[in-house]
Amino acid sequence: MYTKEFQTIFAYAKDKVDETEILLSAGNSFSVKINEQNVESFNYADSKGIGVRVIKSGKVGYAYTEKFDEETFKHIVDEAIENAKYTENDDIVKMDNYQKNTDSPNVYSKELDKVDVTDKIQLAKDLEKYAKEADKRVFNVPYAVYADGKNYSRIANSQGLDKEDTQNYAYAYVGVLSAEDDDKRMGIDFHITRDFCEFDPLKMATVSVKKSTDLLNGKPAETGKHAVVFNSEMMATMLATFSGIFNAKSIQEGRSLLKGKIGQKVANEKVSIVDDGLHPNGFSTSAFDSEGYPTEKTVLIENGVLKSYLHNTITARKDGAKSTGNGSRGYKGTLGISTSNFLIEAGEHKETDLFTKHAKIIEIVSLQGMHSGANAISGDFSLGAQGFLWKNGKRMHSLKPFTVSGNFLQMLSGVEAIADNFKFDMSSNGASSVLIKELNISG
Amino acid sequence: MLNKNIIEKVIDRALSNGADFAELFVENTFNSTIAFNDGKTKQNVVGNDYGAGVRVFYGHTAIYAYTNDLSEEALLNAADAVSKAAKGGNIIASIDLTKKEMENIHPIEIPNNTITKKDKIDFIKKVNEASRGYSDQISQVDIRFMEKIQHVMIANSEGLQVEDDRNYSRVYVSSIASNGTEKQVGGEGPGRFAGYEFFNSINPTELGMETARVAVTMLNADYAPSGKFPVVIDNGFGGVIFHEACGHSLETTAVAKGASVFAGKMGEKIAFDGLTAIDDGTMPNEWGSENIDDEGMQTKRTMLIENGILKSYMVDKMGSIKTGFARTGSGRRQSYKFAPASRMRNTYIANGNDNFDEMIASIDEGIYAAKMGGGSVSPGTGDFNFSVGEGYMIRNGKIAEPVRGATLIGNGADALLKISMISNNMAMAQGMCGSVSGSIPTNVGQPAIKIDEIIVGGRN
Repeated sequence: MYTKEFQTIFAYAKDKVDETEILLSAGNSFSVKINEQNVESFNYADSKGIGVRVIKSGKVGYAYTEKFDEETFKHIVDEAIENAKYTENDDIVKMDNYQKNTDSPNVYSKELDKVDVTDKIQLAKDLEKYAKEADKRVFNVPYAVYADGKNYSRIANSQGLDKEDTQNYAYAYVGVLSAEDDDKRMGIDFHITRDFCEFDPLKMATVSVKKSTDLLNGKPAETGKHAVVFNSEMMATMLATFSGIFNAKSIQEGRSLLKGKIGQKVANEKVSIVDDGLHPNGFSTSAFDSEGYPTEKTVLIENGVLKSYLHNTITARKDGAKSTGNGSRGYKGTLGISTSNFLIEAGEHKETDLFTKHAKIIEIVSLQGMHSGANAISGDFSLGAQGFLWKNGKRMHSLKPFTVSGNFLQMLSGVEAIADNFKFDMSSNGASSVLIKELNISG
Repeated sequence: MLNKNIIEKVIDRALSNGADFAELFVENTFNSTIAFNDGKTKQNVVGNDYGAGVRVFYGHTAIYAYTNDLSEEALLNAADAVSKAAKGGNIIASIDLTKKEMENIHPIEIPNNTITKKDKIDFIKKVNEASRGYSDQISQVDIRFMEKIQHVMIANSEGLQVEDDRNYSRVYVSSIASNGTEKQVGGEGPGRFAGYEFFNSINPTELGMETARVAVTMLNADYAPSGKFPVVIDNGFGGVIFHEACGHSLETTAVAKGASVFAGKMGEKIAFDGLTAIDDGTMPNEWGSENIDDEGMQTKRTMLIENGILKSYMVDKMGSIKTGFARTGSGRRQSYKFAPASRMRNTYIANGNDNFDEMIASIDEGIYAAKMGGGSVSPGTGDFNFSVGEGYMIRNGKIAEPVRGATLIGNGADALLKISMISNNMAMAQGMCGSVSGSIPTNVGQPAIKIDEIIVGGRN
């Protein structure tokens, strides 16, 4: 698709620059939100954008547009050339016709495109209805949402690379508020899939209501150092928050504590962390990255030892390494590095076993303030949290909101056990419940 | 951007199956970002955001569709999509638009994108040099220089048609101090709803040095303690506490569903007597200011809380339909990719009568938060958290040693009542606020305030 647009840009840029790359993304999406069994909002989106990256005299410039006509296409090439002039980057940047991945992941479902809109609305209505019916303490269901979408992307460069990909997805979530006395607690459950039949609104509603009501009327947490279990969702959240420490660009710019630590022990030996661009169950799966480079499974930490960073071709060239297929950009953005399906490998323990390892354990089931209370550069964090107190393997009661603080690398070193309940979150970060020896709690 | 005839056709088509209201929002935006680090201009991007959104209401239902294609055919398709979903609304006869001349209360001097890249890079380099010159411990300086001109056209079935050009200018500086094993960050991000004259008005050397000072101070600080303490939160970005803890819960998006702790409390006392809070889109060229909101309504100054009494919510059009309160010009959105929602503009706590030194003197052991980082809130429960960017211990009524890594948590309704002193040094700071209708520029602000007790999550 959009072959004419690509040809127009390549033809215009050909004699003006050394290399040209064109990245296009186009798609449509739908969402419906229910309130009091009525449709509160319907959203339809039909969007596209095109970004060019040019190399001229070894310098890189970018420009993008969402307006598709020949005059604008020429204009963005000129803008990108102008931008390249003022870049002082000494990185060596090249483009190439990178090979195709031998694996071709399955990221599109024809069936999903055929689901009738009335079924989607019904699903969102059921989420709200079942949540309201589940418990008398539920006084509001602020989120009962279904959404889906389809994205087409194409990347081509002047070295002959030309790759395209079509993906689709559907997700639903339900958020409930319950109250007892003056205390109000929220619970959210979500599901993402390419198989509409997988949605189980009764189960999702029940889970979100239980998450909310279980937290009601908590007692203050005792300030001090405690053993902590992060449930699988919150462990995935922690992992995602600090994923930048593996980013080779951050490391080369002196922003990561993992600089110079390849081959060293940086975590407990139970910890293995992986980025897998081809994971069959992830929703960041794609055969190639934003440079068109083939994706792969990259082991970052293996049994506690740092094995690799995440690279695009620029950082890899600088380090004398190979790209790991983590080049990342949208049509509006510049080339960086990001995780794909990013996970900590599951362990062998049953989740309930984790709570028997210490006489007293605080379980964390909700975290707040990831964008402000976590310092991705130092690894330090101090976050709002909710959860439960466990004693001798028994869940005693919920806790009033408290804070949990520590340092991410020290936390990885303090991992004592990993459960077998692996799950991906909505953003393709995956983890199981993890027991940490000691973190600071303030309540 | 579009001729009147096409706009009328699109709105008529959106109404064709019956609807209470239809609106067309068209945007053509110029964006430019220069990213600088490692002492070099690393990335330069310019681009063009371009698209339109069609919205209809029937009853309490809002339907929204957007597209990047502004041809008559594509716009009519979008109108068809929303019209098909609208069932049971009123039938409105074909509309007749009257173009409204908007009063420009935020004039600019030098429109963005008219200054050479070299001038901008010279500015950036001065910031970089000043930060690195402050201390040998500064190991990295990140600077983002951003300009934006957003042209918007809003037309609706009430006959309104209005346009505006919005110039935004901002520079974000983040300095990292390192001693080999540890790293700390100091950041500042001044911005205005204005053109290049804004950059001429700030001193790049002072900006660079200030970020370096905070980073170095925090690098050489010990961890904050854990537990409950009285806290003095200073002016400027300290206003993020009100923004997170109360502001979001005063938006009709949360209020209309009863999902706000302040729902049903109009006219009631919700805060300490001395507390007055305002959300104001009219402050000249401030970061969160506007001439018109994204529903085409002239912006306003809205008294939210006066002497502790709840006076107004922030109300957009759908919020007004749902709650019955009058619109406050608060319908805002990031771009055509979002339907508008009730959002904050420049939101601040007004000056009180207390003296800053007396505030500090009133505390035996507590925390002085000189600068705040970001934060977030769950509007349904009112639980908030925010991080302290530059903190100090207060000991025996005096500001003592610096402390780092503190997060403050609490509950909005509860924290409002625990404010016991309000100083008179109101200042604002700039932020990007993310919510249902995307990420938008907002100012937070306050004079220094004292909160009697709040949970501090430190490590000692």
